[in-house]
Amino acid sequence: MKSLRRDVSSNPQAANVTSKVFVRSTKSGKVQKIVRELYLRQDIPCSSKLCSICPSVAPADASGKIAPFVLSDRPAGTKAFPHGHYLVPDTNALLNGMDLFEHTGAFYDVIILQTVLEELRNQSLPLYNRLLSLIKTDEKRFYLFFNEFRLETHVRRGPEESINDRNDRAVRTVAGWYEEHLRASAKKGKKEKSVPAMVVITDDKDSIRKAKAENVTAVSLSDYVAGLEDSEKLLDMISEAREARDSKGSARGELFYPEYYSMSKLMTGLRAGNLHQGVFNVSPYNYLEGSVKVPAFDKPLLILGRDNSNRAITGDVVAIEVLPKDQWKSPSTKIVDEEAVTKNDNPDTDETEAIVTDRERKALQEEVKQAHGKHSEGKPQPTAKVVGVIKRNWRQYVGHVDSNSTASQAASGRRQQTVFVLPMEKRVPKIRVHTRQAGHLLGQRILVTIDSWDRDSRYPTGHYIRSLGELETKGAETEALLLEYDVQYKPFPKSVLDCLPAEGHDWRVPTSKEHKGWNGRRDLRDLLICSIDPPGCQDIDDALHARALPNGNFEVGVHIADVSHFVKPNNAMDLEASVRGTTVYLVDKRIDMLPHLLGTDLCSLKPYVERYAFSVIWEVTPNAEIVSSDFTKSVIRSREAFSYEQAQLRIDDASQNDELTESMRNLLRFSKVLRQKRYDAGALNLASPEVRIEAGDEAGDPLTDVKTKAMLETNSLVEEFMLLANITVATKIYESFSQTALLRRHATPPPQNFEDLINQLSKKRNMELDVSSSAALASSLDRCVDPKNPFFNTLVRILATRCMTSAEYFCAGAHAESEFRHYGLASPIYTHFTSPIRRYADLLVHRQLASAIGYEGEDGHAVIEGVSTRGKLEDICRNINYRHRNAQFAGRASIEYYVGQALKARGEKMAGGGTDTGIEEEGYVMRVFENGVVVFVPRFGIEGVVRLEDFVLPGESGVYSVGERRELAVHRTTEFDSEEYTLRVEEKGHSEKERGVNVELFQKVKVNVSSVKEEGRGAGKRRVRILITG
Amino acid sequence: MSNQRQASSASQVPHLSPAELSYLYTSLSLPKSSIRPDGRSPTQFRPLTAETNILPGTNGSARVGFADGTQAIVGVKAEVEKTVLSNETVDARSEFGISEDRGEQEGSAAVGGHGSWVQMSIEIPGFRDDDALPVFLSEMMRESLVGAVGSAEASDMTGGLKGRLVINKRWHWRLYIDVLLLSQPLSYPLPLLSLTTHLALLSTKLPKLKSQGEEDPFFDDDWAVAEYLYPRVSLSSAKHSARSPFVRPPVTLLVISVGENIIFDPNREEIAVADAVLAISITRDSEAGNLKLLSIRTVDPPSRLTQPGIPNSENVNMLGAVASTEDVAVLNPATGEEEVPGVWRPRRGGVKRSVIAEMVKTVLKKGGVGEEVLEGLEGVEVS
Repeated sequence: MKSLRRDVSSNPQAANVTSKVFVRSTKSGKVQKIVRELYLRQDIPCSSKLCSICPSVAPADASGKIAPFVLSDRPAGTKAFPHGHYLVPDTNALLNGMDLFEHTGAFYDVIILQTVLEELRNQSLPLYNRLLSLIKTDEKRFYLFFNEFRLETHVRRGPEESINDRNDRAVRTVAGWYEEHLRASAKKGKKEKSVPAMVVITDDKDSIRKAKAENVTAVSLSDYVAGLEDSEKLLDMISEAREARDSKGSARGELFYPEYYSMSKLMTGLRAGNLHQGVFNVSPYNYLEGSVKVPAFDKPLLILGRDNSNRAITGDVVAIEVLPKDQWKSPSTKIVDEEAVTKNDNPDTDETEAIVTDRERKALQEEVKQAHGKHSEGKPQPTAKVVGVIKRNWRQYVGHVDSNSTASQAASGRRQQTVFVLPMEKRVPKIRVHTRQAGHLLGQRILVTIDSWDRDSRYPTGHYIRSLGELETKGAETEALLLEYDVQYKPFPKSVLDCLPAEGHDWRVPTSKEHKGWNGRRDLRDLLICSIDPPGCQDIDDALHARALPNGNFEVGVHIADVSHFVKPNNAMDLEASVRGTTVYLVDKRIDMLPHLLGTDLCSLKPYVERYAFSVIWEVTPNAEIVSSDFTKSVIRSREAFSYEQAQLRIDDASQNDELTESMRNLLRFSKVLRQKRYDAGALNLASPEVRIEAGDEAGDPLTDVKTKAMLETNSLVEEFMLLANITVATKIYESFSQTALLRRHATPPPQNFEDLINQLSKKRNMELDVSSSAALASSLDRCVDPKNPFFNTLVRILATRCMTSAEYFCAGAHAESEFRHYGLASPIYTHFTSPIRRYADLLVHRQLASAIGYEGEDGHAVIEGVSTRGKLEDICRNINYRHRNAQFAGRASIEYYVGQALKARGEKMAGGGTDTGIEEEGYVMRVFENGVVVFVPRFGIEGVVRLEDFVLPGESGVYSVGERRELAVHRTTEFDSEEYTLRVEEKGHSEKERGVNVELFQKVKVNVSSVKEEGRGAGKRRVRILITG
Repeated sequence: MSNQRQASSASQVPHLSPAELSYLYTSLSLPKSSIRPDGRSPTQFRPLTAETNILPGTNGSARVGFADGTQAIVGVKAEVEKTVLSNETVDARSEFGISEDRGEQEGSAAVGGHGSWVQMSIEIPGFRDDDALPVFLSEMMRESLVGAVGSAEASDMTGGLKGRLVINKRWHWRLYIDVLLLSQPLSYPLPLLSLTTHLALLSTKLPKLKSQGEEDPFFDDDWAVAEYLYPRVSLSSAKHSARSPFVRPPVTLLVISVGENIIFDPNREEIAVADAVLAISITRDSEAGNLKLLSIRTVDPPSRLTQPGIPNSENVNMLGAVASTEDVAVLNPATGEEEVPGVWRPRRGGVKRSVIAEMVKTVLKKGGVGEEVLEGLEGVEVS
C-alpha cells in the first residue's frame, strides 16, 4: 500500500498568507479552535521621519492623506547610543517598567509591537490601557507597529518553539528589520545621516544572548536605565514583581500563605456555589478583619486574620470559601492598628517572618475569646477564607516611608535598601519597596504601587513612582488627596480648550433674534429671575422666578445653565467631562469638570447679563398644586445673585416690597408647602457631619473658619425647587426614553443593615426605630430625641444614614420601574438636572430633555447622540457613580486635613506661650470597642478613635505628650460590656471607682482636641488627637 | 426497487452480462492464483494518496483519494459537553437503600465513556442522509470506533474512542465526525471512508487540559500544545521498537471471497461476483502490537441480484445442439452449490465457516494484511 502527500510548499501564494491558530474558551464553556487567516502586506510604514521609502508606500485614507509619522528624525542619544536610538521593548519590559515608559524624562521614540501589545493585554488589562493612552499621546512618540501583518517582520512559530520564544524572536526580527530598513532608506536618500540604533529592551537573558548572535542590540531594562541620567530615581520605578520571582524562585522553601486555587478550580467552585465571589473590604478599625459581601447571603462574610485574607488587599475581587462552623467568630470589638502591632518588623529580613506574628496571634486570640462569650449580639458569624483572587484592584497608593524601617546609615548611603511604605489608606498593608534613595525619601509623601504579593512574603512588594513633596506641605497633601481619590486634576489639554467658543469671555447672547442661536429658544429676559447660592459662588447653575398669573395661579420657573449648548456630544471637551464626571470641591481648591471659561462665565447664570438657559416652568395653584409643567430652552437675564443670607435678609426685611422680593417670598411660601408634602410622603431628613470652611484672613484664629453648615430657610427654598425640577424632568425623559433615560435611584436599604443601630437604640435609650418604610423611618427618627441632649437626634440620623446604601445613577432600562424609587426623597422617580456645570449626569439629562421636547439645536437637526445607546450610558453611569463617591470622600478628607492644619496652627500659636493644651469641645460616643471608643466632634465634623492611653483618668496630672501617653496604655485595663455598650477604663491595680472612667454609647463627653505629631515613629505624621477628659 | 437494491447492497450492480460475470468469477476463483481484472494480487490494495490536516478549522481532518478517482474528506470536530448523570435516580436509590451496583455501573459510564458521544455523519453524492447506505455505513464505522471498549474491561482502552473522550466524571468531549465522499460511489465506499476516518482521527488534537481532577475543564489557549486524541509514543521509545506499535483507531477492511480465494480491497466488478462480502474491523492491541478483531459484518453481496446465465441444456435455442455432457453440473467447493461451469448463477450469499476463518486469519496474522494496512497508514505523515 502506497501513500503520497500533497506538497503545499510549492504554492506561490503561501508566503503571504498564513494563519494564526489558537483555542478560545467561551464563557458558556465552549472550547473552540479558532483559525484566523493573516494576509501579509508590505505597505505598513515604519513611521520614522528618517525614512524616505515608507511615505510613498504607506496606505492613505479616503482623503489621500497618510497618517503622520511618529518617530523622531533626531531621537535622543545616551552614552551608549550617541547617535540616537529607538526603543523596542518586549512585553516583560513593559510589565515591569510601565511607570518608566510613562516618565517624561526619558523613554521617547518607542516602537510598540502589535505582538507585544496583544501579549500585554492578556497579562494585564490596566497596563494595556495605560500603554494605549501612551500611544495616543503625541509627545512621547510611541508608535504601534503592526509587525504581524508586515511580510518582512511576520514570524512563523517553529516546531517546538514556545509562544514566548516566538514573540521574543518577533521583537528581535523587528529590530533587525528596522535597522536594515532605515539604513536602506538612508542610502537611497543619499544623506549621510547616521541611522539611530534600534535597542531591544528585554529582561530575558536568553533573548539577549540570541540577539547578540543575530546582531541586534538588546539590553535589560535595568542596564538601559542605569545608563540614563537620574538613573537612581528611575531604577526605583522598575517593578519588583519579576525580580522577586527570579531571585527567589524555588530556592526559598518557606511559604507563609496558602496557595490560591487554580483558576479552573475557582470557576468550578463558583459555578457550583461552593465558593463565593465578592469585593474584599477591610474594616477601618481593625486591619486584620475584612468582610466580603456576596450575593448568596444577606450579611457580609467575615474574614479574620492574615492567613484567611490570604494576600487580598481591600478592593480586590476575591473568591472565598466559608469556613466550618467551629471557626465562626463574632466581628471584632477591638481597634487593631497595623502600625501599632507590627511596627518592629524589619523589611529586609524575610526569613524570620511568620505569617502571623505572635502579636497578631494574640490580638486574634482575644477576639475569639470575645466571640465565645456570653453575648447575644456577639454570637458567632460565618467566617470565610480567601482562596483566590479574581481581579486585583491594586492602584497607586500614596504613603510615606516608615522611618523605622530604614537603616540607620540610610541618609548617607546611596545603596539599595528595602523599606516599608505606610499607605495613607489604613486598610492597605504596608508595602515593601526597594529603593536607592531611602534617605532622600524620608519625610516625603510618595506615590508607590504594588507589584506582587508572593506566598513567601508577609507584605506586598511594590515600587516607587514619584515623590509628591514634603509631608504636610499643602501642595503635597492636596495632590496626595487627589491621587488617593482618583481625581483628575491635570489642567485641561489643548484639545479640550479648543472646543470652547472662540469669542472667549466676550461671548454674548446674539442680539438679533434671527440668529441661529435663538432657534427654539423662548425669550424670558423680561422675567424677574434671581439666583440664590452659597456666598462666593462663581458657578451659578440655577436661577428662579415666580409671578402671579391672571387666573390666580402662579407661574414658577427654574432656570438651569444651558451647558449642553456649549458642550457638544463626543468632542474632546465632552469626553474629558465624562471622564471627570463631577467637579470636586476641596477646602481651598476646586477641580472643575468643565473649563473655567464655561463654568464661571459663559454658562454661569450671572446677574445682569443675558445667558442661555434651560427652563422648567410650572403653573401652580396658590396651594402649590402643580397644574402643568413646561420645558424650554430660553434666554434669561438674572436680576440679582444672592447668597443665602442676603436672600434671607431681603425676604425678612418688611420694608422691601419690590416685585423681586415678592417673588422670592412666594417662592419661599411654595417651598414650605412642597417640603411638607415631601415629608408627608416619607422623605427622610438625613444628616451627615458637615462643616464648611470659609477661608478667612490669615491673622485670626484659623478655627473660626470652621463652621457647621447653618440651614437657612432660603437654603431649603432652592433645594425644594431643585428637587421638584429634577423629579419633573425625570418623569419627562423617562416618558420619552423608556430604556435610556438617565435616572438616579436610592435603593431601599435591607432591614438587616439597621440591626445594630436598632439594638443599640433600644438598649441604651429604649427607643425604637421602625425601618419598614422610609416614612416609618422618618417618623421614628423624629421621635429619637433626647431633651437633655439636642445633638442626639442628629447623631442618630448620622448613624442611620450610614446604614443605608448610597444613591446611584442608572439607565432606565437597567432596573424595573418599581426599583426606580429614591428612598431618601420618597420619590418614585428622580434624576439630576439642576447642576450641569458641575455634574456630568445633569449634562446628559439636559441632552435627553432637549431631545424629548423636540429641540432641534442651532443648526436644525437634533443632537441625540449619547442619548440612545444604552451600553455607553451604562459605562458612563458606572464612571460617574464612582467619581461622585470619590469626590465626596475627597471633599471630606480635605476638610479633615484643613481642620487638622487649623488645629496645628492654633497649637503652634499657643505653644508660643507655653504648651499646646488643645481645645476643649463636646463629643459624642459613636461606637464602643473593647480597647477604645470612636468619638464624633460636631464642632469640627470629625470623628476620631480614642485609644486607651487617650482617656484622661481622674486624678491624672494634666496633658502628657504623645510619647508619654503611649506608655500609659500598657498600665491600663478595661472592662468592656458589648451588650450594654459600655467601657470602663482604669489603671491597673487601681480599681477604685473614682479612679476609672466609664463611657457608654451615645454619651456626651468632654474632649480635648489637638493636632499632634506622631512621636516614636518619627515619620512626621500628624493626627488629630482626641482626649476624653470627662 | 432499484434504489432499494442500491442502498442495501451498497454499490450499483455493474452492467455485466452473465457471461462476463461468469468469466470474472472463474478467473478470480482459480485455485491459489486468482487473476484480478486489474492485475493486483489478492491482498494488494489500490494505490491511494492521502494527506491530513487539510481543514484548518477542524480538530483533525484527512483526505484520501483512490486511484480510481474516488475521494473522501473527513473532518473531526470536538466539543466540551457536560456529562449528564441522572442524579435523581442516584438520590432515590441511596434513599431507598438499593444496592449500589447500579450506581457503580453508572459511574463506569462516566469513566468509560458513552457511545453516543461520537456522532458520525456520512454524505454520499446522490443519497439522502436518511438513505440506508449512509446510515448503515456510519453505524458500521461508529460501532467499531466506540465498540472497541465494548467489554468494558478496565485495561481495554486500546483503540476505544469513547474512553478517550472522558475529561472527568462530569465532563467529556463530544466528537463529530463528518465524512464526505466527494465522488460517486464507484465501488463500495467503506474502505475509503474507513481509511480516511482513521487518518482524520489520527491527526485529531484536543486542547491541552489545564485543570485537574473533577474541576470544570479549563484549557490551554495555545493550539501548538494541544494533545493528540491518539497519543504518539515519544521518539526515544519509538527507536527501541522499530515501528512504534502505538494505539490507533480501528480500520475497517472490505474482504470478499470468490470460490476459495480471499480478495482484499475489491473493486466494483469484483464485488459483483463475490460469494460473500465481509467488513472486518481491526485495531492494534496496546502493548504487544498484536492486531485485534473488533467486528465482522457481512454485507449483502450484489451478486445475489444479478441475472443468471442459462446453461445450454436449458436454452431452448440451443436445444439439442450441444452434447449434454458439456453441461454437467459441478459442485462449487466454496458454496456447496451445483453449478454449470461457465454459466453464471447468482450467488446466494452463504459462505463456509472455513472461508471466514481464513479471511480473519489473513487479516490478523503477523505480517498479514491488517498489519500492512496499518503500516501503510503510518507512512502517511500526520502533521
